[in-house]
Amino acid sequence: MTPAPSPHPTSPVPRPSAFARLTSGLHRLANPGRFTRLAAQLQPWLTVPGVLLTLAGLVWGLVYAPADWQQGDAVRIMYVHVPAAWLASAGYAALAACSLVSLVWRHPLADLAAAEIGPVGAAVTALCLATGSLWGRPMWGAWWVWDARLTSVLVLLFLYLGHFSLVRAFDDPRRGYRAAAVLALAGAVDLPIIKFSVQWWNTLHQPDSITLTGAPTMALSMLWPLLVTALGMSLGFAAIVLGRLRASVMEQRLRSLLLSRAGAGRRVAARTAGLQADTLDGRGEMVAP
Amino acid sequence: MTHLPFIAASYGLFVLLALWLSISATLRLRTAKRRLRALDAALAAPGVRP
Amino acid sequence: MTRKSRRLWLVGACALGLGSATTLALAAFRQDIVFFMAPSQLLAAEPAAGRTIRLGGMVVAGSLHEEHAPDGTPIARFAVTDGQKAITVRYAGILPDLFREGQSVVALGSLAADRSFRASEVLAKHDETYMPKDVADALRRSGKWDPRFGPPPSAASWNNMTAAARPATDRPVAADAPGAPAGRS
Repeated sequence: MTPAPSPHPTSPVPRPSAFARLTSGLHRLANPGRFTRLAAQLQPWLTVPGVLLTLAGLVWGLVYAPADWQQGDAVRIMYVHVPAAWLASAGYAALAACSLVSLVWRHPLADLAAAEIGPVGAAVTALCLATGSLWGRPMWGAWWVWDARLTSVLVLLFLYLGHFSLVRAFDDPRRGYRAAAVLALAGAVDLPIIKFSVQWWNTLHQPDSITLTGAPTMALSMLWPLLVTALGMSLGFAAIVLGRLRASVMEQRLRSLLLSRAGAGRRVAARTAGLQADTLDGRGEMVAP
Repeated sequence: MTHLPFIAASYGLFVLLALWLSISATLRLRTAKRRLRALDAALAAPGVRP
Repeated sequence: MTRKSRRLWLVGACALGLGSATTLALAAFRQDIVFFMAPSQLLAAEPAAGRTIRLGGMVVAGSLHEEHAPDGTPIARFAVTDGQKAITVRYAGILPDLFREGQSVVALGSLAADRSFRASEVLAKHDETYMPKDVADALRRSGKWDPRFGPPPSAASWNNMTAAARPATDRPVAADAPGAPAGRS
């Protein structure tokens, strides 16, 4: 196919589009050394405020926020449940975004990031379901009901678990990443279903108290601790994913170093380092010695 | 405090999960760093050329 | 077209196809995904007697009558409405903590021949409003809201009130002053 005409025929050298600049910026991150350095600098800026804000928000919610007029103190479960629910969806959106970058641009970091977001997102989704159950039993009178909101979040948990197992299902890790990315992108259809389930259908679950379009239907004395906790947990989520991703990049470098050494037939150095090339299993994964 | 067992269980689950995720990430990062440093040192050692 | 943009178009086309397929499927099963039916829907649908269904709606103010069976089981009778029709529900068992007149509930059971509802399970459905007890009390005292007749007014109308209501509950003398607890901007 002939190349498309330049959008600026008057300028002799067309400036790269914002999109092209973004993708080239992403590609510079593909350099593992650069990523490791930047990520190590970023880590404390996520970890410290994440821990502090989460602790502050949870203590605020547990001790200082008022009890609800009809739910009593059970409303305090909200300060764990609602941020977990938001993170479950946001984490999946990030997983789907990484999968798109992986499928279209074949960015090596996107595969690793998707594989590290998956388990953390699954844990947060499980926490959301468990705390929801603990809240539903005393308030609704049921641990679980099959309404549209609860069911669609359960589907989200299964999508996370499916992604987790697909990444690890193939001998060739690249095939695993590819298959998992396809699943993650297809599963993204669940996100709007979760979001709008409480508007589209009759559910036992309440409609959203906090929306982007309308005023919140929650007292400010409860809204503030909720927002602080949600911000803290989001930073904490990002910090944990970043930490795992840094470890994953290092592990990959270790694998490639060991494999190249094994290919060269020189195992001496690796052995002196307490490592052997045959501590790698079939798919090049590190096996604990 | 009303419904204390349910509240305690929710917050407890969160604390356990947060601790587990952060400790496992820290340990994994530390192990990877240590192995990488050891391997780099071994590769840089005299007499061994990569 | 580069390989990258071809892959991008491919992913976009797949997303579009999957999205519309899901939309169509959800639209087709719209009625089946519904967790409960409102009284007017239930009466219009005329389900076969004895078929298990869920009925959802608001407990009508003043309609709750509680008695005890000879073996001590509490028996509750109340009417559930969606604003258009009301159905009388009979339930033997312990009602959930949040059950009250004006609350939304979901009852599992079947429609009897006399068009009353026999429930085997009653769940309370709380709405999206969260407010402290002193605000709720102040709203009730001011006559702006009676919880037995439906959901509270929007949070914007009482969020400013929290500051005014709190000293009023601390100082009972001030609470008796006209307009003081309901100080609304």
